[in-house]
Amino acid sequence: MKLHEKLLTHYLSCTSPVDKEGYLCKKKERNATYQRRWFVLKANLLFYQERPADRHLLGVIVLEGCAVRRSESGVQFAFSLVFEGPGLKTYRFAAGDGQTQESWVKALLSASHCYLSLLVRDLGRQYEEAKQQRGLGESCHGSFIKQTTTNFFFPVQGPTAEVREGRSFSAGTVLHAPSIPNRVVPKKSPKLWPRRNAHVTPLNGPAPLYGEWPLVGFDPLEDFKKLHDHYGQEVKKAREEWLRSHRAEEAHIDGDLIDLG
Amino acid sequence: MRFNEKEMVSLSRQPSEMAAELGMRGPKKGDVVKKRLVKLVVNFLFYFRTDEEEPIGALLLEQCRVEREDTQVFSIVFLDEAERKYLFECNSEEQCGEWVDSIIKASYEFMRKNLIFYRTEIHRLTGKDPLEQYGISDETRFQVNNGLQLMPRDTSSL
Repeated sequence: MKLHEKLLTHYLSCTSPVDKEGYLCKKKERNATYQRRWFVLKANLLFYQERPADRHLLGVIVLEGCAVRRSESGVQFAFSLVFEGPGLKTYRFAAGDGQTQESWVKALLSASHCYLSLLVRDLGRQYEEAKQQRGLGESCHGSFIKQTTTNFFFPVQGPTAEVREGRSFSAGTVLHAPSIPNRVVPKKSPKLWPRRNAHVTPLNGPAPLYGEWPLVGFDPLEDFKKLHDHYGQEVKKAREEWLRSHRAEEAHIDGDLIDLG
Repeated sequence: MRFNEKEMVSLSRQPSEMAAELGMRGPKKGDVVKKRLVKLVVNFLFYFRTDEEEPIGALLLEQCRVEREDTQVFSIVFLDEAERKYLFECNSEEQCGEWVDSIIKASYEFMRKNLIFYRTEIHRLTGKDPLEQYGISDETRFQVNNGLQLMPRDTSSL
């Protein structure tokens, strides 16, 4: 199978930040010796080379479908990546000290795409709940928000993410879970977002400014009552003016149709 | 460069909602459209010869631009090089739209940005950091200023 290497090396060297890097000893597959290598973790990819300054990458490990284990074996500060399945590998590592070992184990546990996917789904659901609790769901501004977020982010159904001790989510676990919808039902947004953000994964340029995300920089009146009062004042004013100009014509003015308090 | 090939092949065999026979054309001059089973798994696009068990190749879907070229055709440009453009012919307008959408959303970087957005917003709305319950608040990969410029006021406690 051809892995288009240039795409990986380009991604490694681009401006998005590295998630973790440092020296680790990697066990050679053939014999029992360990070799010191410089590792760089970015997204769900673990790259390794001889030294940090090296241009030549020795290899990459795609971190999907593996469990992270702290090793009980005789080697100090050891841990491993265990790929589940017939004939699949186990990569063994040793860190220089306990802190480094712990730090790498933690970083690798949260590295997989599957893990991130579940986390995003879960947080998306929490976000919707948090908005509802603030009463934004029912206000006239709320419906605008709802439509634009549905357009932009993942759907919020799906199981809650669970963090299990010592394991990253294997691809098999996630993909066999019952009916996690992967598609967003397209909805018409009342506003067209700038084309730059609409359908393009950002390249080397800076991420879209915070203000360009839906909702941010937008300070809605959170209470519908406040909105009602606010517009009510306008209506009151308009009505007073109308009454003044029509006083000569109308003998009787009926009671308020709408009580604005 | 070495990579965990067997494990990647195993990954390519995982069930995926986005798997279909599409017409695929490579980036080189003289490349013709070939019928391929194209499959999206995590942030990789695998492509197989129909009825073959092992994929021909895998494309990492990070730092790429996905665009609709025509009603039924979409393209992926890698490395910001117009020459590295792959074309995919779909069977319907709807299918084409679904692929464009899915590929964009499969990017790890795209998901990370979403996560950071939700984290910030939940914190703003509730005063709580939602990652605390998972014990991952300090992980570099989820940091709020990770590639995203923010207004200072809401992030002092993150």
